[in-house]
Amino acid sequence: MRVLGQIATLVRKDLLLEWRGRTRGLSVVLFGIVTLLLFSFAVGPDSAALRAGAAGFLVLALLLSSTLALSEGFRLEHENHALEGLLLAPVEPMALYYGKALSNTLFLILLAPILTPVAVILYAVDAGPATLVQVIGLWALAAAGLSAPGTLFAAMTSRLRSQDVLLPLLLFPLVVPVLLGSVKAIALVLGGDPMGQLSSWTVLLGAFDVIYWTLSGVLFTHVVEEGV
Amino acid sequence: MKRLRWDAIIGLVGLLMLLVGSYIGLFAAPPERHMGEVQRLMYVHVPTAWISMLVLTAAFGFAIASMWTGRPKWDAVMTGATETGVVLGALLTVQGMIWAKPTWGVWWDWDVRLTTTLIMVLFFTGVLVLRSYVAEPERRATWSAVAVIVGYVDVPLVYFCVRWFRSLHQVQSSPETVASTMITPLRINAFAMLFLAIWFVARRSRLELARLRRESVALPPRRAPRGTAVPEAPQEG
Amino acid sequence: MSSSAIRCESLGRRFGRRWVLAHVDLEVARGDSLLLAGSNGSGKTTLLRVLAGLSRPSAGTVRILGRDPHSERLACRRLLSMVSHRSYLYDGLTAFETLRVWARLGGVAYADGELENLLDEVALTPHRDLPVGGFSSGMRKRLTLLRTRIEKPDVIFLDEPLAALDSGGKKLVERWIAREVEHGTTVVVASHAIPRMSRICRRALLLEEGQIAWEGSAADLPSQMEEPA
Repeated sequence: MRVLGQIATLVRKDLLLEWRGRTRGLSVVLFGIVTLLLFSFAVGPDSAALRAGAAGFLVLALLLSSTLALSEGFRLEHENHALEGLLLAPVEPMALYYGKALSNTLFLILLAPILTPVAVILYAVDAGPATLVQVIGLWALAAAGLSAPGTLFAAMTSRLRSQDVLLPLLLFPLVVPVLLGSVKAIALVLGGDPMGQLSSWTVLLGAFDVIYWTLSGVLFTHVVEEGV
Repeated sequence: MKRLRWDAIIGLVGLLMLLVGSYIGLFAAPPERHMGEVQRLMYVHVPTAWISMLVLTAAFGFAIASMWTGRPKWDAVMTGATETGVVLGALLTVQGMIWAKPTWGVWWDWDVRLTTTLIMVLFFTGVLVLRSYVAEPERRATWSAVAVIVGYVDVPLVYFCVRWFRSLHQVQSSPETVASTMITPLRINAFAMLFLAIWFVARRSRLELARLRRESVALPPRRAPRGTAVPEAPQEG
Repeated sequence: MSSSAIRCESLGRRFGRRWVLAHVDLEVARGDSLLLAGSNGSGKTTLLRVLAGLSRPSAGTVRILGRDPHSERLACRRLLSMVSHRSYLYDGLTAFETLRVWARLGGVAYADGELENLLDEVALTPHRDLPVGGFSSGMRKRLTLLRTRIEKPDVIFLDEPLAALDSGGKKLVERWIAREVEHGTTVVVASHAIPRMSRICRRALLLEEGQIAWEGSAADLPSQMEEPA
């Protein structure tokens, strides 16, 4: 289907631009690491407390980094008004949305292999490679959940004066299910799951993803209709 | 004297009903067995909860209407309902805190519905802030309607995840059931708050519509062009 | 009427309290060429944007080859191209990659060799693998023109195509537009460069405060503009 091909072209374009402008990705990674460090300072050298909060700190670092990544994703589109150029092409706005949301998700997922080991080290977490793979899998679900509404909101706020405040203001309350779900799930993976609750939290994350990837795709058409 | 509008009449009726219902609830109804006097807050708290959810659902409906028809009147009513919903939600949160302190000794006990309400109050306030930053009326209507729809769909998701989150910890009873003998003041206050909410929404919508009308302006008079239209070029093959 | 390429009836566009366009009645036949003239703020750019489907009319109707650019988005997009003073380029992509993205999004299969030939037409071959961010405005304009070659539209809109170009660049663009006109593409140009553009276009329209103040043959435009207001 042509739409899939267009989405692939757009994702490839974003990844190519991301690779060329690597400093941007590097800044977000460094921001994530600094955030993890700050959390450990806030708690203090109490290994038990750090270990207990590890899942929460990791997800919070992802959440805070995501607003940077999401708004950067659209800044490129507004340089030279490239997004308008895309709107002039025979491309469905829905393809534009899924292309951008997918590249945002991929970018956020790429943070996981770096930030997860840092968290494991800083918070004295006892986790083998199999466990870490599970964590990264849950991170991927969370990243998808953040990117779906995040791309929609970033498209709106990237043109407004107060975009740095507006995007988190709208996104953070909305993605509480992603936050809670991924924190609980990752904590269960790291600390053991005696009552078998992992599947429920994973299903919640999955449901959020499905709902918002569908809904945001449909609504995006209206957001860019007036010319972004 | 200016003739009162329909919504002001409703609002007045609502206010009177609130006074009556609250009087009964505060003085006439018997105190609850376990919780004592503080439970009387329920006569305001429960209706606020019902009506705030109702108003938010109405906002969702208006958002869909606004996107479907593109007419400014739906945008105005959606704004009125969203603002009213935010105010009621904030009120609900404060009431919950007032109830929690004497009952549990803490201001905040992570009650499922109150937590959900607080989160939604924050989100919909964000939607109102978004509106204030968008100058163009059509774009403002579309974007805020999109945000309201996205936010409303989240309510059940937030509710369930907070509920699961809480069920893992100790279960505390919430300000829930009320004995059947005390239904009357509850019903009175429920309708009272409904009428008051309708009045708020109507007033706010009217303000917003007036603002939109002030922003819109009639077409300037037509000036006939000089010159003549050039005869059509011969069609190319 | 399907014989007209562009048809507007009572077109109007409002931003806030200001009607930037009002009472615009326009008909452009297929293969015709129209020059839009007018001072800054007269509504030229807005008119082009509405015609291209980037902006929704506040009043009236627009038809491009019989289709509404807003409700029949995709169908219209295939039929038209816009060359704006905005370059719509990604600074991080090379010239070649840019062409390839446009080709793929446009749904037309282009071999690499064909894209390279296109770059050659505008003398951008030495810059094939250089990021667009380093290009001069003239080079950017040349690359942007190639988009019309890739999209092969029936209608081309150009918004100030000669802006920020040296005389060599201006001649290139003029030749480009003239060639499109020869090939029967419908062309609408908004420009301040009246003497140059009125030689290429057949008809002209003068906009004042969003309304059509004068219309006629492009050859008559320069004298029209010298008349006292």
